Amino acid sequence: MAEYVGIDLGTTLSGLAYLKPDGNPEIVPNADGERLTHSVVFFDSHEDVKLVGSAARDGGEPDRTIFQIKRFMDDPEHLVEIDGKKWTPAEISALILSKLKRDCSKICGDITEVVITVPANFNELARKSTIAAAEMAGMKVKRLVNEPTAAAVYYAHSQGVKGRILVFDLGGGTLDTTILDVEGDNIKILTSEGARHLGGSNFDDILLEAYAEQYKKQTGAALYTDERHRRRVLQATEDAKKMLSKLQRVNDTVANDQNSGIARIDLSRDHFEKLIRHMLTRTIFLVEQALDSAKLKTSDIDHVVLVGGSTRIPKVKSMLEKMFGKVPKSCGNVDECVALGAALFAKKSSRIQEVCNASYGTLAMVYNAKTKEEKLMNSIVIPKNTPIPCSRTQVYQTSEDNERVIEVDITQGEDEDAKFVDVIGRLTLDVPPNRPKGCEVAVTFSYDENQRVRALVVDKQSGRSKEVAVTYKGAGVLSEEELKRRSQHLRAMRIE
Amino acid sequence: MFKILKSLSKSLGGSKPAPEPKSTAKEGSLLDKVNKGAPAAAKVEPSKTPEELCGITPKMPKDEIKAQLKMLFRRYNRSASSLDAKLRGEADQMLDAIVQVREKHFGEI
Repeated sequence: MAEYVGIDLGTTLSGLAYLKPDGNPEIVPNADGERLTHSVVFFDSHEDVKLVGSAARDGGEPDRTIFQIKRFMDDPEHLVEIDGKKWTPAEISALILSKLKRDCSKICGDITEVVITVPANFNELARKSTIAAAEMAGMKVKRLVNEPTAAAVYYAHSQGVKGRILVFDLGGGTLDTTILDVEGDNIKILTSEGARHLGGSNFDDILLEAYAEQYKKQTGAALYTDERHRRRVLQATEDAKKMLSKLQRVNDTVANDQNSGIARIDLSRDHFEKLIRHMLTRTIFLVEQALDSAKLKTSDIDHVVLVGGSTRIPKVKSMLEKMFGKVPKSCGNVDECVALGAALFAKKSSRIQEVCNASYGTLAMVYNAKTKEEKLMNSIVIPKNTPIPCSRTQVYQTSEDNERVIEVDITQGEDEDAKFVDVIGRLTLDVPPNRPKGCEVAVTFSYDENQRVRALVVDKQSGRSKEVAVTYKGAGVLSEEELKRRSQHLRAMRIE
Repeated sequence: MFKILKSLSKSLGGSKPAPEPKSTAKEGSLLDKVNKGAPAAAKVEPSKTPEELCGITPKMPKDEIKAQLKMLFRRYNRSASSLDAKLRGEADQMLDAIVQVREKHFGEI
């Protein structure tokens, strides 16, 4: 049995690594001989089989092929309908995880417990969906770990470095930036910041637009009119993007499927970098945000570490070098280091101090005695970057006489403005009648190692209390019962 | 400074006890209510320039512009992963505006 297993469940690629007896992690290839598995699922219409990986990516029909499901793990309403059956993002992810488990266990032994990596900015729902996906695939999640944390663990292990590290993880779908201190085997995370929908696939989409524009200019026709052909051209743009990380210029020819002629695409690295400049500026904003969160300057960073396939883009390296005044270091194979780090994390987790990735609080009417102003605000109980596990209490007062029910909205987000935070749950507590306003209510939030939150409300006068874990409901969220039922169904499926 | 506990229903003046939350899937509607109950926040209006969207005035000093852009980026980057689809869409447009203002005032990367 493989004791320490880590899985990088990526937007475009997924990988599984295990810890060898010598203490070094190793990637386990899938049954197709690939070290990483494309996070793509194809639902075949002829045979009752679900293809996962490059076979699914290359040969499937577009309306039966699911790409980048990870982008929807935080959407409670997202469903994929195939042949009348509705699949949640967690179920699609479970198919990818099942393929990894089934294929890799033939090489490294049975896999029952795993560490799975998630983007640092994954919210509560996305984390819960990831755990559900693993359960459906027949694996218990020992811990969820943030992707840049896993990469940093691997970097520290393989390079033997110490000091303050900034990890810049630009993957297929997201950007994560984490700052951490490393001292031997001890790692202390200072902050993690993430940006959703900022990664290699966004660059591919931008290139696709450029290709379509060029095609229209040269032939007067649309480059693609259906999803199948759009996918093919998208694949070509991804290839061109990769080439431009090595060459200054690439030439390509493209055609549509309507016999409108062939167009020659001449693309330079400079032009590509101009096309993605706005996205790269966003990445710089995020790095600055991480530095601000940790109250650090660029000169306080000892090492800048690159993770994720999109960090192969030369402009990414040069802009970070300009910003920090030092050459960023690559984390070995930038595509594999997250899975490798996750396997190491499975063993070393007790020596790694993580932080809360979001602020949690409640809505409160805050009265400022100086200005006499009263304002509905997001009142934070657990601030972002608090070391976890943790528990914090804030005492509030009731607002009305004879209040019979105390309601506490659980918020996620650090903005003071209530509009810009998510209300992820509500807790109600019945209290005795005929009490004046101003009774004290203690609200306690607890945050566990898997970045999951619980809320406890205590009415101080009556001693009554209520505790809840945040639960999500929505078309794309499975109930516990449904989860069990679908797990059994999934385990009987043919997944290749 | 007093902090008075207020749930969404109370802040909107409802007197009936609120039921247990039925579905966080409908967070969009909850946030819409917050929007009505809370002070007005910037809305993305297509006719506005990026500066106007970001609240940048012509005579604003550089350090104030920088601070404003940082605050807005933090806010809308977070909103890009909100459970509220409407806010997510708004966030994307605001992030574009923030980047444009930065490039105009502080140069390209």
